Amino acid sequence: MNKVMEKLISLHDLDVMISDLANKDISRQEKKLGLYPEAAVAELRKMRDQLASTIDRKHRDMYDRLAGHYGNAVVPVVNQRCSGCLTQLPTAFFASPDRNDQVVTCPSCGRFIYWCD
Amino acid sequence: MDRHCRIKWNMTSTSLEEAISELLDEFQFQRTTRTLLQTALETREMAEPTMVHEGIAMPHCRSILVDDIMIALGRSASGIPWPERGVRMIILFITPVKPTGPSEHLELIKHIAQTLRSGGAEELLSASGPDEAASIFKFTYGGD
Repeated sequence: MNKVMEKLISLHDLDVMISDLANKDISRQEKKLGLYPEAAVAELRKMRDQLASTIDRKHRDMYDRLAGHYGNAVVPVVNQRCSGCLTQLPTAFFASPDRNDQVVTCPSCGRFIYWCD
Repeated sequence: MDRHCRIKWNMTSTSLEEAISELLDEFQFQRTTRTLLQTALETREMAEPTMVHEGIAMPHCRSILVDDIMIALGRSASGIPWPERGVRMIILFITPVKPTGPSEHLELIKHIAQTLRSGGAEELLSASGPDEAASIFKFTYGGD
């Protein structure tokens, strides 16, 4: 898989982790298990910033814009559709054997898309 | 709770990273997916080791790389440093990112917390085999 795409997926998962730990209900359950979600969030934010700084500005800005607009900037392709907007992708998109070797965006919503092979 | 899990009863790992890897081996992930999941789980542990009871760790995350909840239980007779104190039981899970994702994630954490706090932790540490460990959480277990 394209290295930038791998980083964007990791960034997305880190953002999900941070938002989960900031969620009141999840945070309460984690505390019941003896964990310290507030401390974990602070650490994860640092790691997130560190990871984001290794992504080129163009893709990082795109990610931030998409995440701000849709809530999720990276989505998998499911049944030849972008799972963010459900648009059927053109054949040329999924016919290529090295489709994950480049950063691909959905022609309709602009989200970053990847294939789970 | 009607959930399926994998169980590795005699883990050989000697570190947190190896243990996560050993439990991920229980699933058939594509190489890149596996690497990214390992990174996500390790990142969570770096932020705060998820030792939820003396001898029990709960590495977990939510990821766009899985479609269903993946649960693996692991047991190490000799203990695994996490990263300092030893753990003998590991409850690893990954929940998907989809509209129902946050509530599924919450339900699973709640279920595990309730089970461990109502005597399940001691039962888990003294379980004699995979059947018993899975039944403590009311999980079914086995391969596909």
